[in-house]
Order: sequence, then C-alpha cells, then structure tokens
Amino acid sequence: MNGFTVFAGKEAREILRTWRIWVLPGILLFFALTGPVVARFTPQIVGALAGDQLSGLKLPTPTYLDAYTQWIKNLSQIALFALIIIYGSIISAETKSGTAVLVLTKPVSRTAFVVAKAAVHSVFLGVLVLTATLLTWGLTAAVFGKAPGSALWSSTLVWLVFGVLFLALMTLLSVLIGSTAGAAGAGLGAYALVSIAAIWKPLGTYSPAALATEPASLAAGKDAAVLWPVLTSLLLAVAFVALAAQMFRRKDL
Amino acid sequence: MIPAIKTTGLTKTYGKKRALDDVNLVVPEGSIFGFLGPNGAGKTTTLRILTGLARPTSGSVQIRGHDVAAASNTVRADVGFLPDVPGFYEWMTAEELLHFSGGLFGIGRPVLDERVAMLLDLAGLGAVKTRIGGYSRGMKQRLGVAQALVNAPKLLMLDEPTSALDPMGRKDVLDMLTSLRGRTTVFFSTHILADVERVCDTVAILDQGRIVAHAPIDELKGRYGVQKVVVEVTGGGDELAEEIGRQSWATAVARGSDGAIEITVADMSAAQREIPAMVAARNTGISRMEAGEMGLEEVFVELVGGEPR
Repeated sequence: MNGFTVFAGKEAREILRTWRIWVLPGILLFFALTGPVVARFTPQIVGALAGDQLSGLKLPTPTYLDAYTQWIKNLSQIALFALIIIYGSIISAETKSGTAVLVLTKPVSRTAFVVAKAAVHSVFLGVLVLTATLLTWGLTAAVFGKAPGSALWSSTLVWLVFGVLFLALMTLLSVLIGSTAGAAGAGLGAYALVSIAAIWKPLGTYSPAALATEPASLAAGKDAAVLWPVLTSLLLAVAFVALAAQMFRRKDL
Repeated sequence: MIPAIKTTGLTKTYGKKRALDDVNLVVPEGSIFGFLGPNGAGKTTTLRILTGLARPTSGSVQIRGHDVAAASNTVRADVGFLPDVPGFYEWMTAEELLHFSGGLFGIGRPVLDERVAMLLDLAGLGAVKTRIGGYSRGMKQRLGVAQALVNAPKLLMLDEPTSALDPMGRKDVLDMLTSLRGRTTVFFSTHILADVERVCDTVAILDQGRIVAHAPIDELKGRYGVQKVVVEVTGGGDELAEEIGRQSWATAVARGSDGAIEITVADMSAAQREIPAMVAARNTGISRMEAGEMGLEEVFVELVGGEPR
C-alpha cells in the first residue's frame, strides 16, 4: 500500500470512529424517516395547527411526489448547510491540530493528502445519500402505497453532484481560510450566489447554478435538462480539488 | 562523505521580520548534533524548513545529498521527525498510530508488527490500550519519539524532544538518542544546555536567526572556554582577590554572589600552586577551591547573552 491508500484508509476509519458518523448521517436519517410521514399527514397537521382559521381552504391530497419534493428540499437546504459547516475544517483541522505535520513529514505528498480527503468524503456523502434515499423511498412506498423510483432517484443523484461540488469547494476554502467559521461563511455565501445566479437563464441552463433548483423540479415529476449542469459541476469539482492541492503545496505548515 | 544535512545561506522572512538569516549548517553523517538556542531564536523555523513543511525565502537545503524541495518523498523516506508539540489522531491508540505511521512509509505487515511492539516498549506504552486523547503530555512526547523511529530513519530530527518530559522521561529519551550514535544521525533542537552537553558531539548555537557558533562540542569549549578557579576563603576575601588580580597568571578576577572569588586563569598549574600559598600567608583558610573549564552554559551565555536553563 502506498501513502495515499494508507491515508485514505485512516480518513475512512476516522469517519467511523468520531463524531462524523453521527452528525451528517443523523441529519439525513432524520429527514429520510420523517419526510414521507410529514408529507402524508400535512393536511391534518395544518388543519390541527390552524384550527378554524383555514376552514375554507382545501389542501390537495398528498402524493408520493410531495414526499420526494420534501426530501430534495431538505437535502438542498439543511443537509447542504450542514455539509458546508462540517467541511469548513476538512483540511484546516489537521493543520491546526498538528496531525498534518505528522503525516506530511512522511512519504505522503500534499496533493495525495488533499485528494484522499476529498475522495473519501465524497464517497462517504454518496453512500450516506444513497442509503438515506433508499430508506425514504421504502417509507414513501409504505405510507403512500406506491412510490415509482425515477423522480426520486434522478433528483437525488443530481443533488449528489451538487453536494460533491460543495464538498470540493469546502476543501478549497478550508485550505485558503484557516478558520472553520470563516470557510463555512464563505461556503454559505457561495451557495447564496449560486442560488441567485440560477435566475439568469444561461447560467441556469448550463452552469452548476442549475443544480440549486433543478433537483426540486425532477422530484416533482417534471422534466429538467441537467446534463450540462452535471458535467460542468463535476468538472468544477475536479478543478476545485486540483486548486486546493496546488494552494496547499505552497502553504507553510 | 555526504553530510546528513547541509544548508546554504538559509534565510526566512515573515514580513519584515527575519526569522533566519543566512544560516549555513553542516551536520555530519552519524553525529548527534545539538541545535541550541534561546526561545524564539529560529530553531523550529529551521526544522520546519529542513522537513519541507515551510519554504525558505532564500538559500537551499540538502538532506543526505538531496534537495528537500525537489525530492521530497525520497528525502522523507529516510527521515524521522518529532515536532515540538506533536499532534496525533486522538481517536487512535498508540499501537494504531504506529501502524498508521509505518504504513505511510510502506513498511509491510510482519516487519511493522515487530517494530511497533518494540517501539511501544521503548516508549513505555506497551500496556496502554486507551486512546491517545487521554494521554499525558509526557506520554504523547514518548509516542512522538516512537513514531519518529518507526521507519528506522537514517536521519532523526527532533524539535525540543525533552522539554515536556519529567527527569526520568528526559533521561530515557537522552539514553535512547545516545544509543543511536553511529547508526543514525540525530539532529535535535533544544534550549536545555545540560542535554546537549550530555549526548551531543557537535553543536550549533542559533541566536536571533543567526548561527553564532558551529563546531564539535569540545572544540567549541576550547575555543570559547577558558580555565577558571573558584575560591572561597574563611576571611580576608577582598584583599586576597586584589592580590590575585596582580598575578600574571590571573587574567580576570570577579566576586561571585556568594562571596566566592572567581578567577579566569592563563596558567592553571601556577594558580593551583600559588593560591593556597597566598591564603596560608594571610593566615586564613580555604573553605572551597574548584578548578575547571568553562562549561557549555558559560559559552552559551557569552555568545547569546541570554539566560540559560
């Protein structure tokens, strides 16, 4: 085994043996399990909370598509914000604690250090999202009686590309900004910019900005052209990690 | 012979502050080299550059004949390093950390298992099965030394390896460094003079980013050290000091804080012969008389002008 695989193995074990195994999985599990139930009983919940005030309002009967939309909404907002905050220290935590020195004075290149982290956590995110989606899919089928998979899986996979893009961005920001809060703040700022940029049609059609809104359309059962945004997002994610490695190589530790 | 470490014109600036200024070091292969200096002299900065963690503003570094920047993985394969405050993955046990460290060097399982067991014993952590997060600073320091040895390095670099240790831990580390003499080049920074005097054969003294002395330790003491006699008498100390000051073999006379007369001598045998005679002639007695060379501590104070430990 070379330094890259040994370090990547450490990164995977660190996920399993520290808080990382609880926080993001806990958030996704919570939404995966509550989403379909909340969607199914939304009319009753609204009715109970509003009392007589909305007696004239007739809410449509919920369908499995409401559960899917709820799932993607949770992924696109709370899960993404959590991801941005958690990964604000993906590199800087190791430089601050001195563990980066422990590793980088051995035959492990700085590029391998950065790439291994980005790769392992991307795989972790993928496994998490797919597992949680499987759960919410099953629960949706149980609650609504039917749950065709295409809308859920296409929207989730497209969101996953968006999640990986932000993980790559946080890798870069964590190299550039030593403070976790600073990097997370910059990441949230980037999300706000991307959401606004999606309004402008060329960006909303071809750039990663489309992935801020299109997964919700897919989850609602609508058609969406996501090939270009997915391709540009994956390319940008690779570019972010490459730039992170380049910047990290120049950094004094 | 290719030196273990060679720096040429090594300079590092942070803004306007010059942390290292034209540092030229040659560390002979197989030596135990003490890199001495007061706090803030630039020792850690030097070690960070030697290990490739930081880049010099100008100058070059060669480790065992390889340029550090150009052949980083080749260089690091033969080097063990202990930073001043070692950082560990606190969720690991000591055994896991040593396996991880050895794995980064590509050491295979049977050899690594054997080496890890040996190093855990050396660090006194063989029976400790808890996570590193619960270790004392001394335990972490000993684990740091163990991980620095996991690749059986040809060059071991340690930054203040004994500063966090109790006297027994210090002794163990120094004994371990001494045991490596001739097999591994050891380069360690410290501000503890006694450690250097005890184990090093060569020393460089760094002050405010500049090398102020660089030589084998005996040569350094010979160059800067002079012979001294310290005398305490039962009475008439002032008059005796004045009389000694007039002798041709006494180059300087000073009074110590405890009233002792401290004499720098040019001819030790004359001093040892004549001082007792002068005391006897004054009809007083000698309560203490010591003769010897100036130690590294005095050399350090003379060169750096700081407070040694």
